[in-house]
Amino acid sequence: MGEFPDTASIVIVGGGITGCALAYELAVLGVEDVLVCERDYLTAGSTGRCGAGIRQQWGLEMNIRLSRASCRILETLPEHLDYPRGIEFKQGGYLILAYAEKQLEQFRKNVARQNELGVPSRVLSPREAMDIVPHLSAEGLLGATFCHEDGHANPFHTTHAYALAARRAGVRFALDTRVTDIEVRGDRVVGVETSRGYVATPLVFNAAGSHSAEIGAMAGVDLPVYTERHQILATEPVGRMLDPMVVSFSHHIYCQQVPHGSFLMGRGDPDEPRGINNESSWLFLERMARSVATIMPPLADLRVVRQWSGGYNVSPDSQPILGDVPGLEGYWMAVGFSGHGFMVAPMAVRVLAQTIAGSDPEMDIGALNLGRFERGELLLEPNVV
Amino acid sequence: MLDCEIAVVGGGPAGLCAAAEASEWGAGVLLLDRDRMPGGQLVKQTHRFFGSEAQRAGTRGIDIAGILHDRLEASPSAAVWREADVVARYDDGVLGVERRGRWEKIRPQKLIFATGAAEKTLAVPGSDLPGVYGAGAVQTLMNVHGVRPGHRVLMVGAGNIGLIVSYQLLQAEIGVAAVVEATREVGGYWVHASKIRRLGVPILTGHTLLEVTGTDFVRGAVVAEIDENWKIQPGTRREIECDAVCLAVGLGPLGDLMWQCGCEMAWISELGGYVPRRNEEMETSVEGIYVAGDAAGIEEASAAMMEGRLAGLAAAHALGYVPPHQFTRIRSEIASELYHLRSGPTGDVTRRGLAALRGAPVRRQVLVEEGEPC
Repeated sequence: MGEFPDTASIVIVGGGITGCALAYELAVLGVEDVLVCERDYLTAGSTGRCGAGIRQQWGLEMNIRLSRASCRILETLPEHLDYPRGIEFKQGGYLILAYAEKQLEQFRKNVARQNELGVPSRVLSPREAMDIVPHLSAEGLLGATFCHEDGHANPFHTTHAYALAARRAGVRFALDTRVTDIEVRGDRVVGVETSRGYVATPLVFNAAGSHSAEIGAMAGVDLPVYTERHQILATEPVGRMLDPMVVSFSHHIYCQQVPHGSFLMGRGDPDEPRGINNESSWLFLERMARSVATIMPPLADLRVVRQWSGGYNVSPDSQPILGDVPGLEGYWMAVGFSGHGFMVAPMAVRVLAQTIAGSDPEMDIGALNLGRFERGELLLEPNVV
Repeated sequence: MLDCEIAVVGGGPAGLCAAAEASEWGAGVLLLDRDRMPGGQLVKQTHRFFGSEAQRAGTRGIDIAGILHDRLEASPSAAVWREADVVARYDDGVLGVERRGRWEKIRPQKLIFATGAAEKTLAVPGSDLPGVYGAGAVQTLMNVHGVRPGHRVLMVGAGNIGLIVSYQLLQAEIGVAAVVEATREVGGYWVHASKIRRLGVPILTGHTLLEVTGTDFVRGAVVAEIDENWKIQPGTRREIECDAVCLAVGLGPLGDLMWQCGCEMAWISELGGYVPRRNEEMETSVEGIYVAGDAAGIEEASAAMMEGRLAGLAAAHALGYVPPHQFTRIRSEIASELYHLRSGPTGDVTRRGLAALRGAPVRRQVLVEEGEPC
């Protein structure tokens, strides 16, 4: 990027999907001198480690609306960003399995809410679910919900598509550049200290994913988020077996087959301690294999080729925290995505960019600002792995 | 979960020697090898070894593998797992192993990595055509499976591997069109070079491979002369007819598992790439984890065997199996053998590499250059 700048109109902390998409959205609104600081390389954090599912089947209105709008953005993103390589957005649907009456009851409510907001999801009988995924075991299966528009995309291509378009629009990217401190004078942000020098800026945007609490603390902002390791694996590529992403909240797993044939699957561990930890464990491999083979027995024969892990940055209600900080000028954030940042970030940051740039936001996301925790306006998202 | 005292990963010359040495002192050793028959590269080496008597000079590689393996089989405290791939080392010290399609876990007290090396390759147009091989692959095809890699082969690289494999091709009555070598001199031993020259194979020093031609398989290769600055000399391009190209352009140490363990690694080009820092007992920066053979830096099988012995001795000593006075004596014996092995002109590169390793900056993870995205 040439000389490291000493001023910027906005410093974005984090080069994942959030930071890169935000940089692009700001640039197209005419904001100049945007600088993205990434501690490692683009997609090095949770974005490049995620399962990259795109689903609109949520329980809460804001998650549904954000993911629905993001899904629309992703459908035409390669043309829109002039990224001919494509982002591998495969809309094979999401099949969410129910193994308890109470769960199915909740799913019915969710689907009603989703339908109200225009999401074409529906409740399926076990038989109907097995028509979509013949490999499913009938054992214990009570029903499912399905939305054919859901799917998954390649997080690397999606992020790079945004980053390249942002760079063409004048955004500067500083990789291998850590933000070490944020300078606040009175009630406003005035600059950012980095491993490559000081940048004077009136606005810092926390898009730091797993590290967002640290970046908050640097400006004295106490963010009610924590990071939790989630593990994932990839198998050898095989012929097409599975169209939709299959999710079971009862087994804490999700599983998909990506376009080139590999299966990607992840599992949440309810006993996982809090903290940033990108190590992998053998226990995950064994539990993942057992869980997925319970749900789809033929998958037991697949060979694992690698495993890795990444962080969920979890908020108290499993919904993102979007917006500015009351009483501190120039501090903005999109944090606490709770494991679904990739699928809601495109719309979330578009609205934030519109707000920052002073144009009319397409959606009211005020309900997701930091103040909701003090106001006690928490609605817990039921549909999380 | 299987507990063991010492796990040796890789059953080539270094791993076999490490396992044999440690088990002969009484330590419980489990040798893990991914092939059906341990021996690593030795099993495809049909030529007689050079060097000192102590290091099996005059014996063919494949026979050395058999001798070492028999020694190990005879040891009551050693076990060998064949067709066992070590796929991971977790931060609780557990090794994940895929053994004949089954997932197994091992918890060793000491760990010796003798994982060897991977062949380097050349990226030129056409280098992904069927018929472009690494030299090791050609040796495996011919010497292990009895399969001809082609009828007329162009060899790229005049180091020992390129020269020996050329000779083995000729022995199998496969034509060798030429040996192409980018530097000004033959890198391997003259005795190997003379043998193939006497059989009429040209060795084109100061030449490089520009392109492999053909549509569905190799039909030829384009080479050209280069100057001291590796610039292609105009008007020297020519096509050589061949149906296989064999790349003998060097080896890179396989350090993936050591990266996983958090061993301090350093880039040493004389040793072939990233290698772990270690002390004189072959112990890496992580206590209880040792390295030996090509994984510690590309050298010959004789050095690998000595390093393996040293690592096996040190691991057994760390577990209390070797009396201190014997440990000191044997350690210095092996160190002195290694010193003599590396003292000739052919050991020059290794000596420079080891010196560089002692002073090199440490890399704990691969850093990405700062700069533009993508």
